Amino acid sequence: MAKDPRVTRIEDLPGPKSKEEFEEMKMPYEEYCKAQFDPGNEPSKPNALNGIRWMSTTMYIFTPHSVSNLAEMGAEVIKVEMPRMGDPMRHCAPFNETYLYPLHDSRPMTGTGMGYLNANPNEYHISMDYHLPEMKEAFYSLVRMSDGLTECYRPGTFDRWKQSFRYVQEMNPRFIYVWGGGFGYGPKCFGGSYDILGQAHAGLASVTGFHEYIGGHATKHSNWCIDWYSGTQITFGILAALHWRRKTGLGTMIEFSQVQAATRCLGYAAPLYGRFGIVRQRWGNWDTQLCAHGIILCGKSDYPDAKNPQDRLEARYAMISAFQDEDWKELCAITGMKDLYDKYKSHKERVEAEAQIEIYAALEKWAEDKSRSEVVKVCQDAGLLAEPVCNDREYYENEHWRMRGTVRWMDDPIFGDVLQHGSYSAGLMAKTPRQLNWIWRPVGADNVKIYHELLGYPTSKIEAWYEKAWI
Amino acid sequence: MCDIIWCKKDFEGKPCNTINYLDPYCFWNWEGTINCAECGTVYYIHMIQGKMYKGPEERPGEKPDTSPLYADKPLDGYRFYGAGVEGRTRPFECLPRDIYLGVPDMVKFSIRGRPVRGHRPQPPSAGIAGSYGFNWDIPKLSPDLWEEYQQKIKNGEVTEW
Repeated sequence: MAKDPRVTRIEDLPGPKSKEEFEEMKMPYEEYCKAQFDPGNEPSKPNALNGIRWMSTTMYIFTPHSVSNLAEMGAEVIKVEMPRMGDPMRHCAPFNETYLYPLHDSRPMTGTGMGYLNANPNEYHISMDYHLPEMKEAFYSLVRMSDGLTECYRPGTFDRWKQSFRYVQEMNPRFIYVWGGGFGYGPKCFGGSYDILGQAHAGLASVTGFHEYIGGHATKHSNWCIDWYSGTQITFGILAALHWRRKTGLGTMIEFSQVQAATRCLGYAAPLYGRFGIVRQRWGNWDTQLCAHGIILCGKSDYPDAKNPQDRLEARYAMISAFQDEDWKELCAITGMKDLYDKYKSHKERVEAEAQIEIYAALEKWAEDKSRSEVVKVCQDAGLLAEPVCNDREYYENEHWRMRGTVRWMDDPIFGDVLQHGSYSAGLMAKTPRQLNWIWRPVGADNVKIYHELLGYPTSKIEAWYEKAWI
Repeated sequence: MCDIIWCKKDFEGKPCNTINYLDPYCFWNWEGTINCAECGTVYYIHMIQGKMYKGPEERPGEKPDTSPLYADKPLDGYRFYGAGVEGRTRPFECLPRDIYLGVPDMVKFSIRGRPVRGHRPQPPSAGIAGSYGFNWDIPKLSPDLWEEYQQKIKNGEVTEW
């Protein structure tokens, strides 16, 4: 092992020990994959959804993401935003000055926050106050020329504005209409939603985080994972609806409750209750069905001298897995937990709650004087599955992801140099890969392109609308 | 919350009456001394699995090992010591204070030294109805930034990653 445990030497790793040996042992399959996916060369390949035009009257992350999946796969997406203001997500940014300028011609001192990233790539951004009777004609024209629309307003709002499914299907029977929102129709019809509400109300937060018994709380995920997750589920619905339309020639309506989507990740929770009346509980970084199979806290940070506290203080967690009997034996041998091995020889015994509390406490005790990479190294050397809990910087610096192209820099045509990790990490497709052409555009940036070039309105009319703030 | 220390020590002529909150993340299994956020009295506690096994016992003259996460005075209106009050509550180390200034910090270049449009104000589009072209022509629209960028290239400050 190298002196500095952070350094990984090739001779310490399992597998080939030199470049020559690697060449010799290299599987042709890997070469094949490299040639097939060819990271960096995506723009030379066709787009799967070329020819699909989608309208996006969406906000924040959940519903925009359902459409951004389409846009990355080549659909022509027209994002319709409120004039001057745009999607409220543009105004939500993490700490500090994480805005990219400009937002809009009329607001030179306002930018779009980084929170908008990954939710609206490759889209044409127009502005339109579509609830005005004066703008209905333009809205309906777009409906006639599009394959579908995603909206996120309270149930019935688009109906009141005469642009819900029952209106638009009269204009375009092939139209696929998606409503994405909080609770869906039913007694709680008017409840709105946020990611945190979805996580909380669906029961997901109640099984996330450690149990109160060991110092935990019901926890939401730091990121808006249910926004991203349920948006992706809508995309599946849209693709299925497009397939159905090829057979029947008819559009359809998709109604999608974010709160209900989150229950999908709950796995066996409801059936468990149905069978035994047991309410599923939280088990934090451990596993209810496998042991040892969890994340432990190590005593020393991997970067004790780093300036950033996320590195200096937090780079201390390691994932360890050794639930099979042989692996468990090995883990007990390397950690010196012989008494625990004698006590919990079978998996059935060690997966019990009391056993897990004892086992993980002992593992953390063993890791008390070790850094994260030492713990991982010791486990890996013993043939066990172990990985450090990485932060964003480590993800960025990881050669594996760089080689696969899932983290990469892009030169956005408007906003310049942007680090991208979203589009290309959502699965590799050999023939029709996802592509990222631009991260987003300013509010109303494509007004002329869509109103004039696509719909044929004269520019004088577009300017008049602009003056009145209708677009 | 796993437990509190309700300090009732005489302080400035009346009972201190400060509730010091012992957050479970730090104190779930913990033994040591801790100061009262208001009067500074040092208490010894020993907690096991979130339960106060020993203490709080006063330890006058000892240096506290740590401080409560935050503290308040419920009998005294809404007086409150948040996290990170120096000498009273535990330092709040979640954010690098030298980076997060609380004021806009205009970034013109990404961490690999290439220009980004993350600064203001920006020139208007000069298009109809807020329309934008598809390319930000740096030398034409931001000549200062372009100059700075050329300098960076010369200095070798522009990298691939």
